[in-house]
Amino acid sequence: PRQANPSIPSRSLPARQPANVLEEARTRLHVSSVPESLPCREQEFQDIYSFVESKITDGTGGCMYISGVPGTGKTATVHEVIRCLQHAADADQIPPFTFVEINGMKMTEPHQAYVQVLQKLTGQKATADHAAALLERRFSKPAPRKETTVLLVDELDLLWTRKQNVMYNLFDWPTRRHARLVVLTIANTMDLPERIMINRVASRLGLTRMSFQPYTFKQLQQILTSRLNKLKAFEEDALQLVSRKVAALSGDARRCLDICRRATEICELVGMGHVMEALNEMFSSAYVAAIRSASLQEQLFLRAVIAEFRRLGLEEATFQQVLLQHQALCRVEGLPPVGVSEGLAACLRLGACRLLLLDSSRLGLLMRVRLNASQDDVLFALKAD
Amino acid sequence: MSKRKAKDASLPVGECVAKLQEILRGRICRQQTPARPEGLEAQHKHLLDLLRRTAVHGESNSVLLVGPRGAGKTTLLQCALRDLLQDEEARRNLLQVHLNGLLQTSDGAALKEITRQLQLENVVGDRVFGSFAENLAFLLEALRKGDRSSSRPVLLVLDEFDLFAQHKNQTLLYNLLDASQSAQAPVAVVGLTCRLDVLELLEKRVKSRFSHRQIHLLSSPTFPQYLERVRARLSLPRDFPDGQFARDWNGSVESLCEDKCVREVLHRQFISTSDFRSLHLLLMFCLSRVSVSRPTLRASDLLEASRLCFTDANANMLHGLSILELCLVIAMKHLDDVYQGEPFNLQMVHNEFKKFLQRRSNSLYHFETPVIMQAFEHLQQLELIRPVDGSSAKCQKEFQLMRLMLDHSQVLEALQKYPQCPTDVRQWAASAFGWM
Repeated sequence: PRQANPSIPSRSLPARQPANVLEEARTRLHVSSVPESLPCREQEFQDIYSFVESKITDGTGGCMYISGVPGTGKTATVHEVIRCLQHAADADQIPPFTFVEINGMKMTEPHQAYVQVLQKLTGQKATADHAAALLERRFSKPAPRKETTVLLVDELDLLWTRKQNVMYNLFDWPTRRHARLVVLTIANTMDLPERIMINRVASRLGLTRMSFQPYTFKQLQQILTSRLNKLKAFEEDALQLVSRKVAALSGDARRCLDICRRATEICELVGMGHVMEALNEMFSSAYVAAIRSASLQEQLFLRAVIAEFRRLGLEEATFQQVLLQHQALCRVEGLPPVGVSEGLAACLRLGACRLLLLDSSRLGLLMRVRLNASQDDVLFALKAD
Repeated sequence: MSKRKAKDASLPVGECVAKLQEILRGRICRQQTPARPEGLEAQHKHLLDLLRRTAVHGESNSVLLVGPRGAGKTTLLQCALRDLLQDEEARRNLLQVHLNGLLQTSDGAALKEITRQLQLENVVGDRVFGSFAENLAFLLEALRKGDRSSSRPVLLVLDEFDLFAQHKNQTLLYNLLDASQSAQAPVAVVGLTCRLDVLELLEKRVKSRFSHRQIHLLSSPTFPQYLERVRARLSLPRDFPDGQFARDWNGSVESLCEDKCVREVLHRQFISTSDFRSLHLLLMFCLSRVSVSRPTLRASDLLEASRLCFTDANANMLHGLSILELCLVIAMKHLDDVYQGEPFNLQMVHNEFKKFLQRRSNSLYHFETPVIMQAFEHLQQLELIRPVDGSSAKCQKEFQLMRLMLDHSQVLEALQKYPQCPTDVRQWAASAFGWM
């Protein structure tokens, strides 16, 4: 309606500053406190920097595709490159440029990309079609004293449409003679251009590609050490354990930082034990605990499921078959026999927390039952108590 | 009025019972937040610490509360929030947004709700202006402009979290979790879900942004603890106006919990499920039998309530059938036994029924085909039988293949309890089951 100024109301008192070593460590370990320069990504930084810098100084345009699994520092590295380039531009070492960033996940549908780019470039509001036309004109017409634009497109795979015109335009504009546009695109999978793009789009994206490898344990350890920066909150071995565990699973730096942060909440000086506790908390599956905390009838039902699977030699049975086993088990255990309604209720409760996978419950006795955890897990959980 | 203030004043029984019903019903039906969460102290501390760090230090966090239905997830959160808001600083700063996956079925609706509850600037009165895209941009801009130490922390509670994971692209979750992982206005995202596999529902990039903090509510009580819980639910508080009545009542509850019969009933309930909600249902049945003429709980009330809770719905339905329909059910059971679970149609059932008539009975149950068909259709309407494939239009009614949705035990129980069941029908049924 009017020129609004989006903001969250401000606090009456500023937030408390960290009071002791652990709180300080916790603040530094938060994923949001990105350091000035990212450790272990020097090579990638250099490559992207020289690519963008050469395009800016030559006044030409181009595309680059950056891929890598989540949490490997893609967006942070690009932001760092841009920050350094801004410094260089402020010091008059390179011509000035404008930086625009869009994120595929932060818009409701692909065509919103035009609207957001236009708004960030000129502050103008327009509909998607109109914005596309305006941008088209801007990038194809020659204009004196035009600055280079660096456009960062994060989560590129979300911009896919059936005709792929959004991607096509994004990659086509840099090839225009007067565009002076550098497009940096980021996505997770390495083979995205081959997989989802039609030929003319993939060809315009070009072959300048870079992939971010998952962090190795040494790199993760280095990241943690540099974040903590001589703060005495962690034992050396504890850090190594976290980095080795995370590197073995995913190499996601966010995970590493989150685990360390959780470990600081558990205790004072963080040792191996606390890190183990945090690791178990965040990686372990809850199925075993859930089975152990289930009621006796629910446990019996699970046992009946396994007994029936063994009898059939299949991984699927109808509720009626399982119920027969359940009633037999009740007799063996000396419990009052379960009725159909009671058995069904137990089955549905197990289905609601996804220990079992079920058909729609309208099928009643004919509903098919499958296990969501492995049989070994279930047996282990049932045996241990 | 002065009587009421005196500590041990005795009130008329009617008033006492009304007061008692008010207190206990409030406790049982309206899910009042208890003074402290029972059996969940560690989880409570973890959650409270986390929320406090967000409210006081401006740290962004995300956490999932996972536990089966009726395990006390909402209660735990309410307890933690209540304890948190006793702190002056937290109360003045924290902004709360409550969303529910059943109400906010799309990201657009959820976003409008967030904007409304935060009272951002594009809200006038209760209406939110702008399209979905504009609202999203507005909210993100608002969050981005904030920073850790100066803007008020936002607590986002996502009830039925797993339903939010089914939205298109998981845009909302990505943005909320991304905000909790970047240097913006501090947000705490608290999700409540009963699915253990909730992390597998998240997309890879959304999952990476989630802090993988899960608080599991999976501790189950032992039977003595369960009994203690029943006692706590039923006993009257110390400040009950009529001291004598309260003492009597608590005494009766105490002796009730010692009763062997009652213990058996409660144990049966306990091994069936140990969650709060089914217990509340049981207690509610008992409580509704307390009246002015009989202001105590008796063991028979609890037995009756347990019987109500454990009755089999389908067997109940069988009691209301006519003899003809019951005969058809028995015929179907015969077919089920002979052909080992193969589906049947009306013709086969009718034949089986005819065989019964020829062999045993006098001509009491000779019905015309349309009557039989009517009875068959009635059974189908009650969903006691069910067509094998849903397409009913393709095939004539008599030849449509059906399956019986009843278990042996249910038919047997119904036969035994059926009022004035003819002997020959009973014998015929017995010949089917063999061991009746």
